[in-house]
Amino acid sequence: MVNVEEFIDEATTEIREAVGDANAIIALSGGVDSSVAAALAYRAIGDQLTPVYVDTGLMRKGETDQIRETFAFMDSLEVVEAQGRFLDALAGVTDPEEKRHVIGEQFIREFEREARETNAEYLVQGTIYPDRIESEGNIKSHHNVGGLPDVVDFEGIVEPVRDLYKDEVREVARALDLEAVISERMPFPGPGLAVRIIGEVTEEKLAVARDANHVVEEEVAEHDPWQAFAAVIGKATGVKGDNRVHGWVVSVRSVESRDGMTARAQNLPWETLQRIQSRITGENDDVARVVYDVTHKPPATIEYE
Amino acid sequence: MSEPRIVVIDNHGQFTHLEGRALRDVGVDTEILDNDTDPADIDADGLVLSGGPSMDRVGRCADYLDLDVPVFGICLGLQFIAEELGGRVESGDYGGYADVDVRIRDGEDPLVGSLAPETRTWASHADEVVEAPEGFAVTADSDVCGVEAMSDTDRDLYGVQWHPEVSHTERGQEVFENFVSICE
Repeated sequence: MVNVEEFIDEATTEIREAVGDANAIIALSGGVDSSVAAALAYRAIGDQLTPVYVDTGLMRKGETDQIRETFAFMDSLEVVEAQGRFLDALAGVTDPEEKRHVIGEQFIREFEREARETNAEYLVQGTIYPDRIESEGNIKSHHNVGGLPDVVDFEGIVEPVRDLYKDEVREVARALDLEAVISERMPFPGPGLAVRIIGEVTEEKLAVARDANHVVEEEVAEHDPWQAFAAVIGKATGVKGDNRVHGWVVSVRSVESRDGMTARAQNLPWETLQRIQSRITGENDDVARVVYDVTHKPPATIEYE
Repeated sequence: MSEPRIVVIDNHGQFTHLEGRALRDVGVDTEILDNDTDPADIDADGLVLSGGPSMDRVGRCADYLDLDVPVFGICLGLQFIAEELGGRVESGDYGGYADVDVRIRDGEDPLVGSLAPETRTWASHADEVVEAPEGFAVTADSDVCGVEAMSDTDRDLYGVQWHPEVSHTERGQEVFENFVSICE
């Protein structure tokens, strides 16, 4: 385990040296990685920093409001309402890698605009070690690594937690006094709910994914998973109130892990699974069935795309 | 003798960095090097050959077997040692993914003997060693794979098919501790 106090000192110094007197913006997603990167950068360069949170429309229920609240202490926090632009960019895109690429590019475009407005020359990102490994191994490209367009206006990119594992980032978060809502938060992918929707991202599927993720997080909280979520994976037949439904199939996944490199599908009680099933099909007219993913990693990855 | 220095050779494996982390957690001096590193530039009391996607991408691993220090191959690293020294590797009938219960066949083996009689491992492989090279003893097996571990204690060459470096392998850290003892 990394020495947390030493790490914070070193990372803060590194950010200060890299950015100098210039301005920087931080891609704040609300996840523990970017929150720690943001807190470190804020500590290092204070007002020179603009934390930018982009509401992509791919966020979880209530997420944007929660971000506003948690990071209210950073005066320069910018919340960008980009929901429409992301959905437009994603229209018709079905290939998983293309999806990540489109989102990555749109992210960067949003950031570039904010950077110009704040005269920021540096971009800070919360990339962690496993992100880099998975990108290098071509398993999946991560939006904060693989999706970067060739032409970036920034002078440089600073990734202060690039050598840490998730469990180590959490240690740092606790040492930085970030609220438990951040430090103990489940991992959430950069491309958001888009990678929990197989095929094209539409408003209809997003609404299902958002509600189903909320249900899963609530219902499994007491089982303390490393990560738990729902994905919209296709369509199938159902019958609701004597009517045939050709509705969405929602896959529920709940895993135990230390570092995300390997994961075990959680042995959830049948009652919990049934309650999840009942709520998701009951609250969403167009969901025909709910399935539970029992696959470990390997051979599956944790997320679907 | 002071703590040994153990170098991890990266064969482009997903978990290579976790091997570095496991050794770091044992408390030894460790470094991860690319597998095209000149053997003359390697300063080590022991080597770990990591897993990886393909036997075509093992770089200069063959040269590293001549460095006269203990070598510990993991997954593809094990398969490489087997193939290089005259054993046989084939595509298994049944890939080993996630949980695999491994039976330890030699309780005296310096690398895996302490895990006897059985240990729960985490694996990820399609290929497997079907014939260990001359001089090697098969020290562990499982229902899905006949050579889960092999050792040549005379030459200090070792390998396991599973991934002791991942957190879901029970007692994986112990395997690294055992290897460190071999290197002392």
